[in-house]
Amino acid sequence: MPIVLTVDPRSGVPIYQQIVEQVKRSAALGVLQAGEQLPTVKQLALDLTVNPNTVARAYRDLERDGVIETSPGRGSFVRDDGAGASTEVAARDVTRRAMEASVREARSMGLSRADVRGVIDALLDRWFPEEQ
Amino acid sequence: MSIKISHLSKTYGPLIAVDDISVEIPSGTIFGLLGPNGAGKTTTFKCMLGLARASHGSVAFDGKPLTPPLFESIVYVPERDVLYDWMRVGELVEMNRRGFKRFKAQRALELLQTFGIDTHKRVRSLSKGMKTAVAVAIAFAREADVLVLDEPTSGLDPVNQRHVLNLMVNEAARGATVLFSSHQIGQVERAAERIAILDRGKIVLEGSVDDLKANRKIVEAIFPNEGYSLNGLAGDPRIGRIDRSGRIVRVTTFDGADEIARRLEAAGGTGVRVIDLNLEDIFLYAVAPASATADVVEGS
Repeated sequence: MPIVLTVDPRSGVPIYQQIVEQVKRSAALGVLQAGEQLPTVKQLALDLTVNPNTVARAYRDLERDGVIETSPGRGSFVRDDGAGASTEVAARDVTRRAMEASVREARSMGLSRADVRGVIDALLDRWFPEEQ
Repeated sequence: MSIKISHLSKTYGPLIAVDDISVEIPSGTIFGLLGPNGAGKTTTFKCMLGLARASHGSVAFDGKPLTPPLFESIVYVPERDVLYDWMRVGELVEMNRRGFKRFKAQRALELLQTFGIDTHKRVRSLSKGMKTAVAVAIAFAREADVLVLDEPTSGLDPVNQRHVLNLMVNEAARGATVLFSSHQIGQVERAAERIAILDRGKIVLEGSVDDLKANRKIVEAIFPNEGYSLNGLAGDPRIGRIDRSGRIVRVTTFDGADEIARRLEAAGGTGVRVIDLNLEDIFLYAVAPASATADVVEGS
């Protein structure tokens, strides 16, 4: 099991959501590869010292979001969709959440849609110079 | 084994220790009971287990009332030590082995070793934390279906506290129902799936820890001057409290934080942000009278 998950129980972010986000990020970064097995619910619950139902809930969400698949008796695996679809899904989810927080803050500070688009365009120019 | 507490009350003369409590705990759940000292946690446990007679109400295990055959499947670790303090630790293990068919003596000895306890010592010579560890080690070797643990980590060092929490997780993973109380909110927040907060004998809040965190938020906004109007936000049933401090307003919501954020923006608020609450925030909000923490402005 190469992935190392951590949870911060004192955070206001629900624990199942912390697990979901970390697995998605690991899948997006290729730390977890397609076809790779996740720890069992019980094992991860013991590793993190969180109750097993919370881990089970995270796994159900990951399955619903198309990141992992669970087969009874065998365990949970990162989905192997041939074209890396699950890692792409995961990468998009992680990115959307991060950008949503920024866009919300920009709006509440009074920037217009055009202002925000200008900032994003500038960032894209900087980080994707080859695609200008 | 599921537990259902229905309208449980316990009075001692004029004192109402437990006041009409109803909780359902599904099988395989770790359930945390939180509350200030004297809130009624221990009395609730005692009434559940027949150690105190309830004044009203009932408790059912898998739908059935408590009867002697169930004693084999239910284990209780009280807060105060009930170990025979003249016995040696090893003798306690032997007594449990003889008393309970499902008791795994080998498992108890392994756990005692993990906690660093010498089984040749007499209970009375142990520190408070070590006595807790002995009681807990014996309880976790009972292979019980229901574990009721009153402050199961009190007096333990952080390593052994974590060890006890992990044992609880292990019990829940094999399907046992774990009900525990703790003063340490961080432990409850980590290990419990569901919680109830008791205050002066009543349940003031109950639910899944993750759901409470997902739904309860503070929405903060800053207004250009103090003469702002909140467009009747105070009447919204999802809002628990509105605290104003000059141009800053903080709205505590039970649900719908994003929509309330948009309404604050529509009312002219800037710098609107949604703040996550951890269990300590939620606990303090549940047990603190509103007037003690902030002034409440209604209907503006």
